[in-house]
Amino acid sequence: MMIMSAVDSTFFTLNEVATVIWQAADGCTPLSDIVASQVCREFDVDPDQAGRDVEQFVNDLSQHGILLVSEQPIPNSPASPPEAR
Amino acid sequence: MMPTSQIAASDAVAIEVGGIAIALRTQDHGFRQLLEHRYAGFVKSRLHPQFEFDIDLFDDVSDPSETAHPDDDVRVRMQDGQWLLQRGDFRAQWDSRSGRGRVRQSRNPYAIDSVLRIVHTLILAKQGGFLVHAASAIRGGQAFLFAGLSGAGKTTISRLAPPEATLLTDEISYVRREGDGYWACGTPFAGELGKLGENLSAPLHTVFLLEQGLENRIEPVATSEAIRLLLRNILFFAEDAELVNLVFRSACEFVERIPVRRLTFVPDQRVWNMIM
Repeated sequence: MMIMSAVDSTFFTLNEVATVIWQAADGCTPLSDIVASQVCREFDVDPDQAGRDVEQFVNDLSQHGILLVSEQPIPNSPASPPEAR
Repeated sequence: MMPTSQIAASDAVAIEVGGIAIALRTQDHGFRQLLEHRYAGFVKSRLHPQFEFDIDLFDDVSDPSETAHPDDDVRVRMQDGQWLLQRGDFRAQWDSRSGRGRVRQSRNPYAIDSVLRIVHTLILAKQGGFLVHAASAIRGGQAFLFAGLSGAGKTTISRLAPPEATLLTDEISYVRREGDGYWACGTPFAGELGKLGENLSAPLHTVFLLEQGLENRIEPVATSEAIRLLLRNILFFAEDAELVNLVFRSACEFVERIPVRRLTFVPDQRVWNMIM
């Protein structure tokens, strides 16, 4: 998958694992759940290593402004519950 | 044959990439200056552009009357004989037959940058070429293209290029079909290096699929794998089955004619000893 930043038109070509993370990042699901339920299940990788790799990937994307990292569910995200909107 | 007109230097900036000139016309002097600065080296004066866009600017990207939502994804589709290009910060329409179009956008220069990229992908799709997320450079009169996942080393290998190599881009490579061969052309579409490519072109010699490793080595890539990996990096935005099919066929024909190799490299200048 390739994604383009609307901030500066930079492109990112993602591998299969990164694509799963990008598609699962719905503003509501915790990163740890994405790692456990998507990455480890689909790619048979060590959870600790997967956690570190995913964190680095997410930080890279957030530094480019195309992924927002939050301690709380993000309001108005596609998967946020109705009361949070 | 596209109609052409000589642009008036006073209100338009003609930007030529890959031998295709697109005039951007705006009444806003400041934005015109921004374009001339942003695309320096690719701006042509006294030129008959093949394509022209009128640009209208709006200031408030969050104004709901201007955009559906500032974070809207890019969307490109044909409607009533015109291409419609839309993202959170721009809306454009383009009649590929007359060559004319209109862009309504925020002042963000990356909005028109994206419009240009999309238009070039549409033009190239019918000519057997494409834009690809890859760095490229000329060395010894031949062009080399470096593709790979984000983080594989496109910016790194661009930064390591020796003085005699000419960098065409560290972000978006322009591949043009010429008879039975392909040419790589410089683009103003810069990546992390933050530096425009040189506005030059050369016959394409090899595509390298980058991976960083503990040693420098070049390995062959099976044709099916080469097509798959090349397609992963080709830029194409239009929701158009016919053009998607053309791009797929172009990728297949490209791999039949241009060697595709896997380049594993240690990030230092010695890797360029293998590229010639």
